[in-house]
Amino acid sequence: MAVNKLAGIIFTNLGDEKLPELTAKRSLGSVPFGGKYRLIDFALSNMSNSGINNIGIVVKNNFHSLMDHIGSGSAWDLSKRRSGITILPPYNGISFENRVMALYQLHGYFEHLKEDHIVIASCECIQNFDFDKLFKYHLKKNADITVTYKKMTIPEGETAPMALTINDDGKVTDMLIKFNSGEECNMAVSSVVIKKDLLMNLVKKCVSANTLNFRQNILQDNIHKLNIYAYEVKGFCEHIASISDYYRVNMALMSKDVRKELFDVDKPIYTKVRDDIPSRYGLTSKVTGSLVAQGCKIDGEVEGSILSKGVTVGKGSVLKNCIVMQDTHIGENCHLSYAIIDKDVVIQNDRSLMGYETYPIYIAKQTQI
Amino acid sequence: MYPKQEVVAMLLAGGQGSRLGVLTKKLAKPAVPFGGKYRIIDFPLSNCANSGIEAVGVLTQYQPLVLNEYIGNGQPWDLDGMHAGVTCLSPYQAVDGAEWYSGTANAIYQNIAFIDRYHPDYVVILSGDHIYKMDYSEMIAYHKEKGADCTIAVIDVSLEEASRFGILNTNPDGSIYEFDEKPKHPKSTNASMGIYVFSWDKLRKYLIEDDAKEDSDHDFGKNVLPTMLEAGEKMFAYPFEGYWKDVGTIDSLWDANMDILNPHISLNLKNVYSRNPMMPPHYLGEHAAIQNSMLADGCDVNGKLEFSILFSGVTIGKDAEINSSIIMPGAVIEDGAKVLYSIVAENAHIGKNAVVGGYPEDYPNRDDWGVAVIGAGVKIADGAVVAPKAMIDQDVEV
Repeated sequence: MAVNKLAGIIFTNLGDEKLPELTAKRSLGSVPFGGKYRLIDFALSNMSNSGINNIGIVVKNNFHSLMDHIGSGSAWDLSKRRSGITILPPYNGISFENRVMALYQLHGYFEHLKEDHIVIASCECIQNFDFDKLFKYHLKKNADITVTYKKMTIPEGETAPMALTINDDGKVTDMLIKFNSGEECNMAVSSVVIKKDLLMNLVKKCVSANTLNFRQNILQDNIHKLNIYAYEVKGFCEHIASISDYYRVNMALMSKDVRKELFDVDKPIYTKVRDDIPSRYGLTSKVTGSLVAQGCKIDGEVEGSILSKGVTVGKGSVLKNCIVMQDTHIGENCHLSYAIIDKDVVIQNDRSLMGYETYPIYIAKQTQI
Repeated sequence: MYPKQEVVAMLLAGGQGSRLGVLTKKLAKPAVPFGGKYRIIDFPLSNCANSGIEAVGVLTQYQPLVLNEYIGNGQPWDLDGMHAGVTCLSPYQAVDGAEWYSGTANAIYQNIAFIDRYHPDYVVILSGDHIYKMDYSEMIAYHKEKGADCTIAVIDVSLEEASRFGILNTNPDGSIYEFDEKPKHPKSTNASMGIYVFSWDKLRKYLIEDDAKEDSDHDFGKNVLPTMLEAGEKMFAYPFEGYWKDVGTIDSLWDANMDILNPHISLNLKNVYSRNPMMPPHYLGEHAAIQNSMLADGCDVNGKLEFSILFSGVTIGKDAEINSSIIMPGAVIEDGAKVLYSIVAENAHIGKNAVVGGYPEDYPNRDDWGVAVIGAGVKIADGAVVAPKAMIDQDVEV
């Protein structure tokens, strides 16, 4: 049995309820992002780039589009003799409502893993992250569990899902759930590294006691019983927990520095590739401050927007501050601003749709307007 | 034992393409980037995939590294099947010696064993320097229908152009009675496209005979085809309609790229497959002004772009002006630079306020003007000037 190796678990439905519109027909993991990506691409690429070879992808419902996206895993270099992905749907037809029950169903999968540590991640986090550094820290501290955190001040009226108190050695001495002091805090972010056998034992105990909250019963209840350490995540690391977060984090890509860090050429974010033709700009096009994927055909005016693969914008149309997902067609002389337009939407000529920066309007997949 | 393949395609990709100058310094011609994200060889390989041809041999000789790496296991073109796929065939050493491919026919002759493995009925010979989309299965159906031993695809060219091509003179039923290589007074306008379908048993016999001839150049056009015609084999011309261009020269390569931007020309890149670099969508900055152009992923543009094609990962600075140019992957054009009617190869760097190429209307004597070419990785210093028609393969200082 190999020692000191890390396997990955990615939850793809966790947080679905926070983006009800976007996840109506898909899981959070396959929500489109940044013109050509899906949210799961970040966790999957980061794990692949960090040398994690075995990745279990936990799916619960609406996962057809996710499975179509992932395929064999070869786009992330995860379809080799010594590496691979495993899609993990509910076992024995019994669905699960929380992470603890989902992990409990995975005991068969865990038993066969040769890795002795697990990193648990989810899809709502947009970052270019080195799991290997996290794992080395976890081993160096001889930790049972290592949680990740980011220093930030929570805006008034919102709460951090979990805030950590940490001593000088990096050991977690306290965890506060739904916390906001108005000052800078150590907000826990999604990834957690844990010894595999320990995880299986804790999960079994939790299920026996019917205490099924991952944060409360796996982490918080064990602060004084186990060695729980904290690892700081630096740089660009944003969570998508609402449609306005979704809009804001997409728009953060307009910054050159963010793009450079997130789409690091040495540690690329991979995604399923489609054979699109490079994008065509016509004689009447005027496009500024925008991110445009391949396969688009633009004859109108576009400002401060993200256009995904295969979008068309007709002559005389004006798009401002919009996110347009793949293969949507916008006719001629349309006026759109602050709109999130899902896949395969058709907007006929002369239509106008306006949202507001803090309240972007959402147009569902395959709508005809 | 390999399962039988009715058709095997052999793609001639070993030529140096010396007329492309610095662009083929370290690259075989079929690997030259084209059309914003493709390489020339994507066209015949995609045609094979779209024609249902599963066994393809690519004959490589000159600078094969990039080409071999690019083709890889053939997966982008669906040519990675379990029993057949794409195979790169380079010259090799054998018991009776080693020899380079000395001609197009010799290259195929040396790989008779490769073709025999599949027991094909037909072999399609293709070249790696043409831009066109064609369903070879229709041409093979024509070959069968005519009961031909050899079928050559032809395209109708103008009478003036005809003198630059190999012209095939045919009877009303399409059968060929004469080859006319670059005729001064062409009798017809059926130009050979360099695409041949042969019945394999016939071709096999003629290749072996040709190899034994000391005075032969071992070339299809010069030797094998005329010999077959003389011997009375059934040879037919297959008329092709659609876009086709030989991109063997700088001018024709530039023209073919510009044709993509011309809405009146029927060159559609749909269903042309390629490898895709992993880059984010391209970003157009506050000062970007882009018209009638085509951009691939990963570009960062803050200048003015007209009638131009940018490959992946190109950077265009503020106030830079790009007109009627082709900028290949990873090239950087700094602030205020002008690139006019030029081809800038991979990872070249054009410094601030440098000027590369010029507008044809500024050169009353048309012989002074032409497309400027900057070689791969070449650095043009800030403020330096590169004249039109120049071909640069070393760094240029002010």
